[in-house]
Amino acid sequence: MTEFIIRRLLQSVLVLILITILTFSLIHLAPGGPFQIMLSPGLSPEAMETQARNLGLYDPVPVQYFRWLGDLLQGDLGYTFKNHIPVGQIIWPTVSNTIVLMGAAWFLTLLISIPWGIYNSTRVYSLSDQSASFISYLGFAMPTFWFGIILQQIFSLKLDWLPLSDMYTMSKEGDLGDLLMHLILPVTVLTLGFLAAYVKYSRASMLEVLHQDYIRTARAKGVREGRVIYKHALRNALIPIITVVALDLPLLVAGAALTENVFNWPGMGRLFVEMAVAREYSVLMAITMIVAVIVIVGNFVADVLYAIVDPRVQLNKRGGKAA
Amino acid sequence: MAEKLLEIRNLTVGFQTDNGVVKATDRVNLTLNKGETVCLVGESGSGKSVTSLAVMRLIEYGGGAILEGDVGFKGDDLTSRSQEEMIRIRGNKIAMIFQDPMSALNPVYSVGDQIAESVMLHQKKSKKEAWKTAVHLLRLVGIPAPEMRVKQYPHELSGGMCQRVVIAIALACDPDLLIADEPTTALDVTVQAQILDLLRKLQKDLGMSILLITHDMGVAAEMGDRIAVMYAGVIVEEGAVADIFANPSHPYTIGLLQSVPGLEGARGEELYTIRGNIPSLNQLPTGCRFHPRCPHVRERCKSTEPPVFKVNSDHQAACWMYASGGDSEAWRQELEQRS
Amino acid sequence: MTSPSSRVQTNRPAKLEPNTPPGKQLRKPPGPWRIAWASFRRNPYAMAGLIVLSFFILVGLFAPFLTSYDPAKIDLLAANLKAGTDGHLLGTDELGRDTFTRLLYSSRVSLLVGFLVALGSVLIGSVVGSISGYFGGFVDTVFMRLVDVMNSIPLLFLNILVLAIFGTEFKYLIMVLVLTSWMSVARLVRGNFLQLREMQYVEAAKAIGVSSWGIIFRHLLRNASFPIIVNATLMVGGAILSESALSYLGLGIKAPQTSWGLMLSNAQEFMLVDPMQAVYPGLCILIVVLAVNFIGDGIQDALNPRKNTTLTGRRLERWRKSFSKSGT
Repeated sequence: MTEFIIRRLLQSVLVLILITILTFSLIHLAPGGPFQIMLSPGLSPEAMETQARNLGLYDPVPVQYFRWLGDLLQGDLGYTFKNHIPVGQIIWPTVSNTIVLMGAAWFLTLLISIPWGIYNSTRVYSLSDQSASFISYLGFAMPTFWFGIILQQIFSLKLDWLPLSDMYTMSKEGDLGDLLMHLILPVTVLTLGFLAAYVKYSRASMLEVLHQDYIRTARAKGVREGRVIYKHALRNALIPIITVVALDLPLLVAGAALTENVFNWPGMGRLFVEMAVAREYSVLMAITMIVAVIVIVGNFVADVLYAIVDPRVQLNKRGGKAA
Repeated sequence: MAEKLLEIRNLTVGFQTDNGVVKATDRVNLTLNKGETVCLVGESGSGKSVTSLAVMRLIEYGGGAILEGDVGFKGDDLTSRSQEEMIRIRGNKIAMIFQDPMSALNPVYSVGDQIAESVMLHQKKSKKEAWKTAVHLLRLVGIPAPEMRVKQYPHELSGGMCQRVVIAIALACDPDLLIADEPTTALDVTVQAQILDLLRKLQKDLGMSILLITHDMGVAAEMGDRIAVMYAGVIVEEGAVADIFANPSHPYTIGLLQSVPGLEGARGEELYTIRGNIPSLNQLPTGCRFHPRCPHVRERCKSTEPPVFKVNSDHQAACWMYASGGDSEAWRQELEQRS
Repeated sequence: MTSPSSRVQTNRPAKLEPNTPPGKQLRKPPGPWRIAWASFRRNPYAMAGLIVLSFFILVGLFAPFLTSYDPAKIDLLAANLKAGTDGHLLGTDELGRDTFTRLLYSSRVSLLVGFLVALGSVLIGSVVGSISGYFGGFVDTVFMRLVDVMNSIPLLFLNILVLAIFGTEFKYLIMVLVLTSWMSVARLVRGNFLQLREMQYVEAAKAIGVSSWGIIFRHLLRNASFPIIVNATLMVGGAILSESALSYLGLGIKAPQTSWGLMLSNAQEFMLVDPMQAVYPGLCILIVVLAVNFIGDGIQDALNPRKNTTLTGRRLERWRKSFSKSGT
């Protein structure tokens, strides 16, 4: 187990390093490079030259990369171009806001979809099963931000039941009830997209497991049907679901970013778009890295979970069934 | 007269398909006495496994249904029991082992968990006691170092070991009847012999009855007290092992025996094969199901399905050859010359 | 291993093409394409999807003939008109542009993005996947790590980042969408190649001196084409959704051009004035993507006929079908 965790950890670090290289190269590919952006505006050409030299912008790109990486590892995310504010100061508050939104949506999605999928696997082609498949077609084809706009129109503008946008009503910051009211619409939007897909996954996974020989063995032992499903089948069916859920984490983060923009939620996604329009590269780089870390940690946790649920993983390199 | 344990009468099992209901077995009759081993022999698709699953009433989970007939177990008709009641019988009074031991065990639970579960379900024992029983059962089925093995997972065991574990699960509650569905087919030849030996020994020690399902006439000869031969959903011949081998009576059984390679056969001699293929169950021939492949076919076989005729006191065959009158005498002589 | 003379009696799988020297054309019997088309035609959802998609393509192509307005013409005097006033079929937006006209022209942009991105992704994905799968080893490791990396960044962020750096021109939009969606094709092609390159006809082709590239393009790619087509179809829908999202965020299509996503962005700001302005573009996206997805499913079903009805319950069989459809 320890060996497995270490190996996975090394893999994660490697992917993370590759992402830093990718991000860094992208910024350096920009027309004009990061040069003009990082220099204070309104300087004479000579002063600019000096500042550039002082900032190390004439150093070879690898040297610059390692300097940036070193700063990054020390938690120094750099400064914004416009007001010269530390990037960390802008970003950190938005990270927690995004995690609140994402976490709530993720939790709700899993809470509903897995039991629903299991239920459908035992009642294939029932009304419940068919409605899930209908929703999944909609979920795959509908622009989530449009769904958000429509919900805003109905529940905020027309019925006036729920707040239109933002995280808190003005002067009610920190009020949990108010936060929950603000969460309902964005979480609904985020959930719908994933709900249908996960119902489908868990149903398919469960159906596959229910036709395995060991399920027949369990029945032949005199295990009652409820226990056959929730003890013998469920744990096996969860294994592929864990993988899928982890692999979808980037999609969830992206979905959250869009939803934040629709509902003006003060999260990383909204900040990212704002900063993209303003071309604040240091903020963009920092957010990209934070998001990558979230995704990679998520995948890592999923793999460890996977190893706990499936005893076969420890012996094999990764996933796959024992021969 | 020995005491009857299992009495299958007119058992017909059907499956719903796109082309309507297909009967996987048709009025199967089979009796199993206490302490006896009966081998149900046939090619794949002949309905042997379906019969065994129907006895367990597990056939309903595979999309099938018992259309007709009943399954008497200790004088009790299992077909009229609810699934709720069957839960108390399965794994307790009737146990079952399967063809592929590697896939018959749940990969995410330890061997001990899976054995102990059966013990806890049927005997009100604590988890600790159940695990003790599990260790005891593993020793009983001949697994060395059972205290260590009990904590292992199926993927850490070999195929033969897994089959022993499956047998241990089946024996957990000291069943009256053990149904073994091709228990050795998926195993290596040497392991096969070990498992068969184990089954024979356990039967002697525990006094249970075994319904052994196999496609291998050799296994049947070695294990069975009596043999029932199935073809396309019906039992075509049934009798004591010695009698069947000495005096095979249905042309299908004769073909089966001839197609087993023997040591005494000359090398290079071509092995006998029954011509044609087993018919698909939704396109059964009229009359006797075997007639398109039968070397001794008569007009009567093509139109009317033969009932079961007695060959001698404890041997019967579903073949017109054994009907009294007509040319059956000459017919049987022709058969003897051929074989 | 395989000498040229022994290549004829190799036992190759029946579905692969005959052992004629590459380059020489054989006359083919009614091919798999025709069979697939026959099956596709019997699928009502797929046919409906095809009709709807064709409709939108035609609308996009002939947009100038279907309306008398200019989609970019600002007329503040006619701003925010209700549907049906002054010949504005669906009203006008906050700048007085005719909504119906903009919907028509947007269909052009969205479909163009969808098809270009799918095409580009198939090209890049096939090249990367073929090289990776055919040569294996170090090249393969590098490419597959790259795929891993791409899959661990939320691609929307990467899209936004690139567009922020390079600017939001149409060509960059297409480029960035291609660069973030070629991975599935690469995986697929690579998987197919790994399977196929072991086959004997590749050995045979090598033995008679066909170059590696010749083998890849003549034999292997042809065998991988079915799954690629399905994947590409579904990618069209994905690209349309991505474009609409980016345009909605202000990083995709920009005025005076028009797209459904951009229309939604404007409409949200003026929701209180005319809520319906936000409904139409979204509906268009939904319908087009739904149509494309139905076509994709239809092609998949048509190319993988599952006709093994044996002795199992009908419910079981239907279950199997739906399971394999979910694509695990």
